[in-house]
Amino acid sequence: MPSKRKDEPGFSRRTFLKTVGAGGVAVGVIVPADVAEAQGTARALGPGPVPVQLNVNGRAHKLEVEPRVTLLDALRTRLDITGVKRVCDRGACGACTMMMDGKTIYSCSTLAIEAQGKTIRTVESLTQGTVLHPVQQAFCDRDGLMCGFCTPGFVMATVALLEQNPKPTAEQARKALDGNICRCGTYVRVLEAALNTSARGPRAALEGSAEGAAARERAGVGPREQGKDARRG
Amino acid sequence: MKAFAYVNAANEKEAVAALGTERGAVMPIAGGMDLLGLMKDYIAQPDRLVNVKNLDRTIRKSSDGGLRIGAAVTLGELASHADAAKLYPALVHAAAEVGTPQIRNAGTVGGNLNQRPRCWYFRNEEFNCLKKGGSRCFAVDGENEFHAIFGGGPCHIVHPSSLAVPAIALDAKFRIVGPTGEREVAAADYYQTPDRNLLGETVLAPNELLTHVILPAPGGARNATYEIRFKQSHDWPLAFASVALSMNGQAIRGARVVMGAVAPVPWRSAAAEAALTGKQMSEQVAMAAADAAVTGAKPMTQNAYKVQIARTAVKRAIMKAAGLTVPV
Amino acid sequence: MPAVAKQQQQQPPAQTPPAQPQPPAQAAPPQFPAATTARWPAPADRAHIGKSIKRLDGPDKATGRAKYTYDIIRPGMLYARLLDSPHPSARVRSIDLSAAEKLPGVRAAIALKGPDNPATSKVMYQGEEVAAVAAISEEVAQDAIRLIKVDYEVLPHLATVEQSMRPEAPLVFEKGNTREPTLQQDGDLEAGFKAAAHIVEGLYSTQVQTHTSLETHGGICEWNGENLTAWVSTQAVHATREGTARALNIPQTNVRVITDYMGGGFGSKLGGDVQVVICARLAKLANAPVKLLLDRKEEHLVTGNRPSAFAKIRAAVDANGKLLAIDAETWGTGGAGQGSNFPVPYQVYVFSSRRQRHKDVYINAGPQRAFRAPGHPQSCFVTEIVMDELADRLRLDPLELRLRNLPPEAENAQWERYFKMGAEQIGWSKRHPTGDSVTGPIKRGMGCAANRWGGSGTNRSRAACQIHPDGGVVMQVGTQDIGTGTRTLVAIVTAETMGLPIESVRAAIGDTNYPWAPGSGGSVTAPSVTSIVRVAGDAALQQLFAKVAPALKVADPSTLVARDGRVHVASDPKTGMTWKEACKLIGTDPIDAPATWQTGLSATGTSGVQFADVEVDIETGVTRVKRIVCVQDCGMIVDKLTAESQCYGGIIMGLGFALFENRILDRNTAQMVNPNMEWYLVPGMSDIPQIDVTLVDQPTRGVIGLGEPPVISTAAAVGNAVANAIGARVRTLPLTPAAVLSALERERAGGTL
Repeated sequence: MPSKRKDEPGFSRRTFLKTVGAGGVAVGVIVPADVAEAQGTARALGPGPVPVQLNVNGRAHKLEVEPRVTLLDALRTRLDITGVKRVCDRGACGACTMMMDGKTIYSCSTLAIEAQGKTIRTVESLTQGTVLHPVQQAFCDRDGLMCGFCTPGFVMATVALLEQNPKPTAEQARKALDGNICRCGTYVRVLEAALNTSARGPRAALEGSAEGAAARERAGVGPREQGKDARRG
Repeated sequence: MKAFAYVNAANEKEAVAALGTERGAVMPIAGGMDLLGLMKDYIAQPDRLVNVKNLDRTIRKSSDGGLRIGAAVTLGELASHADAAKLYPALVHAAAEVGTPQIRNAGTVGGNLNQRPRCWYFRNEEFNCLKKGGSRCFAVDGENEFHAIFGGGPCHIVHPSSLAVPAIALDAKFRIVGPTGEREVAAADYYQTPDRNLLGETVLAPNELLTHVILPAPGGARNATYEIRFKQSHDWPLAFASVALSMNGQAIRGARVVMGAVAPVPWRSAAAEAALTGKQMSEQVAMAAADAAVTGAKPMTQNAYKVQIARTAVKRAIMKAAGLTVPV
Repeated sequence: MPAVAKQQQQQPPAQTPPAQPQPPAQAAPPQFPAATTARWPAPADRAHIGKSIKRLDGPDKATGRAKYTYDIIRPGMLYARLLDSPHPSARVRSIDLSAAEKLPGVRAAIALKGPDNPATSKVMYQGEEVAAVAAISEEVAQDAIRLIKVDYEVLPHLATVEQSMRPEAPLVFEKGNTREPTLQQDGDLEAGFKAAAHIVEGLYSTQVQTHTSLETHGGICEWNGENLTAWVSTQAVHATREGTARALNIPQTNVRVITDYMGGGFGSKLGGDVQVVICARLAKLANAPVKLLLDRKEEHLVTGNRPSAFAKIRAAVDANGKLLAIDAETWGTGGAGQGSNFPVPYQVYVFSSRRQRHKDVYINAGPQRAFRAPGHPQSCFVTEIVMDELADRLRLDPLELRLRNLPPEAENAQWERYFKMGAEQIGWSKRHPTGDSVTGPIKRGMGCAANRWGGSGTNRSRAACQIHPDGGVVMQVGTQDIGTGTRTLVAIVTAETMGLPIESVRAAIGDTNYPWAPGSGGSVTAPSVTSIVRVAGDAALQQLFAKVAPALKVADPSTLVARDGRVHVASDPKTGMTWKEACKLIGTDPIDAPATWQTGLSATGTSGVQFADVEVDIETGVTRVKRIVCVQDCGMIVDKLTAESQCYGGIIMGLGFALFENRILDRNTAQMVNPNMEWYLVPGMSDIPQIDVTLVDQPTRGVIGLGEPPVISTAAAVGNAVANAIGARVRTLPLTPAAVLSALERERAGGTL
């Protein structure tokens, strides 16, 4: 794992000076950067905002955040990526679950600054246009959701499970999903969804079933765009 | 949490150089599973964090047939290591049972060994308890159902590390580095009771790091960990035990019996070991050893039940190590 | 389809004498159908109702597209944080905001306790709001909070009901630490005990439970002049609007509340709440939108809870198993100044006589709020444990004892039938008497319990339906979907009424701009909303039929139906036209049909039973529930899929109540030791047993709410199953290993049974 070097994105003389002037602690910054390196000491970043580059769902994002900002908060409040939720903020409930380098993590317990150089996937990466990922489709088909606040976390945990183990036993699936809490009590159907996810590939969920399409055809009415402007009725 | 500066140490040398001597001012961050929660609750308020995930993250066979586990190895990596699981099931099983998959994907061996207590008085800012420099242990006459039944006083925490207990049962050593060099400390000597160390739980100085868990060759020792928890999906164990037996057929030649979640440090029971040594394995022998293990327990006002649970954990860990069937 | 109204619509305008100027000819005003004319279609004619229909907002939720209050970012939005009192009982002497105000990035800071005013200077529980800050980021707001200096005069506090009930306790609550006991009695108690063959006596209790909604309380407030738009995580948009306006002392018409999606409430979010009011004040002060949402600790402390329940019970039964008498002294705490009442006996089994004296006890803790079937889980638990104890004295099958003491069968009293169904499913005939005699530490046991609930429709509910000339249909109703599937129910009923696929209609909910509907509590939403939607849809449809009838050369529009995307004469489906063609006849303006309540579409009174099969390890005291069987009704099922999910959800919450959940206060300091999800435990995936739900449809009965019934009897069934397994009685919740081991020890020492 490479440390921050002078030629890496995010490091600049400006950053260096910023950390000097940030007030509070300026340890490790008393000596110039190259001398520090020679001595085997690494530079301190922050405590003020520092450049952070995050690779989220295939896109590179450049932010300026303090080291204390979690990956969860960086995504939700700076990048408007809000599928992932903040519920307990202590790594006890799983609502903040996303994937980092192919493994599920609690993003509330991950610093944004430490998520650099990693491949981050959130629930938003799963849908192709309007076509749901098979796991998402299964959750909808089996009603593995109610208020939905825990759902993105469960979906990511299920995707991670099935990517590693396409045909899990019920016991394996339960253990993989033990890191996610649902207060509405959707576990029974979440498990059903996890164990019965079609491997056939994405289907167009929003267009519904063939029968539904035929009925709409007869009525001369187009498919309802779900969720759009629901507030304005 | 309080704002802090962050040092991305590239290696062990840089990490040690970035630490300081003042307790709590500069802290290492591994997976962050414990530290960030402490910081969000303002129990830890470091000015600087030093990344220690670039420490050794490998699991290597030692020349003597043992195993050398880097502190930056994640719990998930340890839990899925086939060789380690075969030779040291007590340790690997404990790693596999920590928390949840998400926690195991980020939490490290070093982080688990060095985590701070879960005691709810320690973790809530409102209670200025002894361990935080205050004047009182609130558990004594308060809500102590999850507190110590051995070794408590003046602070009554139970040590929360799942790995520390099997590490001691397996006679592990820890490699520690500091500004003056490196040293090895037996896992059994690493943890300190509150009367010796109130503000911390280990011998580690603020400018030192635990870098490796060094396991001796198992030498045919049969070992197991048995944990008892209430909520199955994600909960701290009420009590657990790790046992290592050297056996000749069904005859027990030697034993190491260590209990977890019962005391401020992993609690080794010489009495249980004596009750096993020289006996033929059976459930009755295991039961007698378990009784011996909890003799002398000093329950608090709310946790007498823990004595029974610890007794059961010891009995079942012994039986599991010996290959007898126990409830899952 | 009311014939009278149609006639009126076809009457020509009134003629006036030719000598006077004629007013321009006007279309007759739309007539509402007369009362009690809207009906559900016959069961054989239902296209959607009663089937398993997928949740409409499933894709939005599963993709992360759904924006909850917590997710919304408004332009220029600030973030707010609260300063909460660490003390459970104190007077605020002074608040110094100056350091917070000076912190760069802070835009507003307010004190919420007034040191000069005795009425507003006192703190009565840990977590009470003392000050608030709005800043450019949450990090800055949090830093600012920690710079606020508050001088507290710490006062005596009460941490437990025992402390509060002591005569020598300090008077913490002005009108007394306890409330004057209430008394209810029926029948001749003395005669009942005299005739008893067996008497059971014991002390029973249940714990304080917090709602633990995943999305915490709070909102985003944005002012436009004197008009406030508030996005709120609430179960009641209209009540929130009303309460917020009142607290801010502004006209209700100046406030709009929007809740597109919300992350759970379970009774804790039923009206205007302090977080939104504070948020609105900050927003006004800062002249910017402000987001204020509680963190997890605050959520546990201040947003309500289910009160504790204690019951000293004496109960008597005769030799034939007839319940004679039950005498209960009960108490509990709802926190600071709040009640804790719950009925004893639970009103299922018939006791010839009863008496209950209840005392509310106050402590310095967060005040209680309605929590999914308030009073019922507590009441059910204590009563059902007593039932099994009485059965054991009689050496009678506990199921048989229950069957001998039920009220007469009625559509809202189906327990005998459901008990028999559930018993068959779970294999009750294989149940052993109390105390599993199998060797080894793992003991199995079964138990059962019954529940009842109301769940009626609110007759003040309103809706409005628009049918557009291009065929679009919108149903506006000021309800909210708290995870129950209300949005889907609205679409189902609208689509059923119009003969359209569900995807072709739009449910417009979650906004006070839509007609008034009740808050989603008390299990009133499904009966209220489906009824008024049916009426509004029907009214709109009648207006459409009035336009279509002439085009079809049909004299009586009431002979038309809308089915399968077509409008045609009922008896001749081959005639008529498509829905789209029909709507073209509307003209340029959409049909807009408001609606008022009609009776007959909803009903009240559900019954249900649950059975539990458990495994207890008597060497550890750990209980694992293996199976729950639930037989439950809810009147006419509208969407079978989401109704079943409600049952699973209630049962799982009941399991939490049975085993894991407990709001624990330090008994000396009255501060909560587990205000987090690490130590306040709710069930997770590996804790879930096999759950078998049988929803009994009553298709001609009318819609009844289902949100609460399934949570009521789970803990009682589990408690009885545990006793059956271990041969010792646990009379308290939660059924922790400590409680089970303690019961086993007491049984060995001299008996608990």
